Amino acid sequence: MSLFDKFAPLAAARADLGAHGTPPVATPIEDIISAAEGVIGGRRVILAGTNNYLGLTLEPEVIASARESLEHFGTGTTGSRMANGSYHAHASLERELAAAYGWPSAMVFSTGYQANLGSIATLAGKDDFLLLDSDSHASIYDGARLGAAQTIVFRHNDPANLDRRLTRLGSDASRALIVVEGLYSMLGDQPPLADFVEVKRRHGAWLLLDEAHSFGVFGATGLGLAEAHGLLDDVDFVVGTFSKSLGGIGGFCASPHAELELMRLASRPYIFTASPSPAVIAATRTALARVVAGSGLRQRLWNNIDKLYDALDSFGYRLGSDKPGPVAAIILPDRESALAHWRGLLENGVYANLMVPPATPKGLNLLRISLSAAHTPEHMDRIIQAFGQLQKAA
Amino acid sequence: MTNETARVEQAIRNAVETALPQIREIDFDAALTSDVGLDSVQVMDLVMEIEDELDISVPVEVLAEVQTLNQLATRLQPILERTAR
Repeated sequence: MSLFDKFAPLAAARADLGAHGTPPVATPIEDIISAAEGVIGGRRVILAGTNNYLGLTLEPEVIASARESLEHFGTGTTGSRMANGSYHAHASLERELAAAYGWPSAMVFSTGYQANLGSIATLAGKDDFLLLDSDSHASIYDGARLGAAQTIVFRHNDPANLDRRLTRLGSDASRALIVVEGLYSMLGDQPPLADFVEVKRRHGAWLLLDEAHSFGVFGATGLGLAEAHGLLDDVDFVVGTFSKSLGGIGGFCASPHAELELMRLASRPYIFTASPSPAVIAATRTALARVVAGSGLRQRLWNNIDKLYDALDSFGYRLGSDKPGPVAAIILPDRESALAHWRGLLENGVYANLMVPPATPKGLNLLRISLSAAHTPEHMDRIIQAFGQLQKAA
Repeated sequence: MTNETARVEQAIRNAVETALPQIREIDFDAALTSDVGLDSVQVMDLVMEIEDELDISVPVEVLAEVQTLNQLATRLQPILERTAR
């Protein structure tokens, strides 16, 4: 018996995806040429499988901020803000995030994963309830596991199903935290947010909206789906990440409730880890200013989104979402065809994501494209041509 | 078999039929993951069907503690009784 025996099924699943050629899982990226291009398997390819929605990772202004901070403050903070000192820049970023929402409080976490983990596990305590959408990201489920609240799952994007579960809770619904995402990254679909808000209000529950994939993309100032729908006043907590539209690493929780500040005293994923490096914080502050003012970037991204969704529709592909968004998830009939599509795109110079069960909802086999404002019209033409080649081959 | 036990068993049968139509014969003693080959998402889908059938909410924590449909049925009984009160 070995401690590693239990990983055998996972190893077999990985082997099923092909032992030869470029691996579709943990695909090595040998070099980065721009926010939209890199080198994979020794060839220059278009990166259409990263989450660099606004293409800010190589923005000169963002890099200059990081460089200046790196040289002044050094490589790391070497500890927790609660135990080893809290840098001014971290608190400034929190004030800037809170100000962007017009709210009194925001907390910065070291990763987006920890932002969900630390917020969900702490906000919903022992006698509270968590109501999670069934398609929730692993960080949301893990937050539930780390915390002590009773966790109930409702059907994906189904406010009536949530309503029934809250009704069963009766007056306890006032101690229920509902968690939904602004954009579900597997299928690229969006929640019926106004309907969820109506259910939440009626039961006196609380709502946490994870805008990891929607921040920077939706809304006049890029704050996410709640801003786009005019529902910021109806959300109790927004969790976001720095590692997608903001191009860095880290995460945040912002709230119209000033008491969010109390969470610093109790959130283990916030307390018992080192705070983000000063360079990351500096880069994120500059990127945040660009995102909030970045309607031009968003326009470029949305032009690309409309172009790709139209093209995929004309090719007759079945997509995970009927509403266009930065993620286009193409539903393929089985694992083999999804893998063949992934390899075909790579051979045509496009890196996308292969997503297969159990990581996907409803046992779907998906090829996922993530778009970026950094994709030029030529990149978009090449991505669409690559799909055209696959259609011809089929 | 009490009325409630029969009700739970029927709800499970209905839920399997809806959520897992590929399963022809239901073995209440088979381990859902290792024997039947379900993944965690399929187990979750099955439980959501059962919740609708019985009009109860099953905490996710329960799923970590059960392996077979019989074990699940045993855990559903007290939830059903509490909900009925």
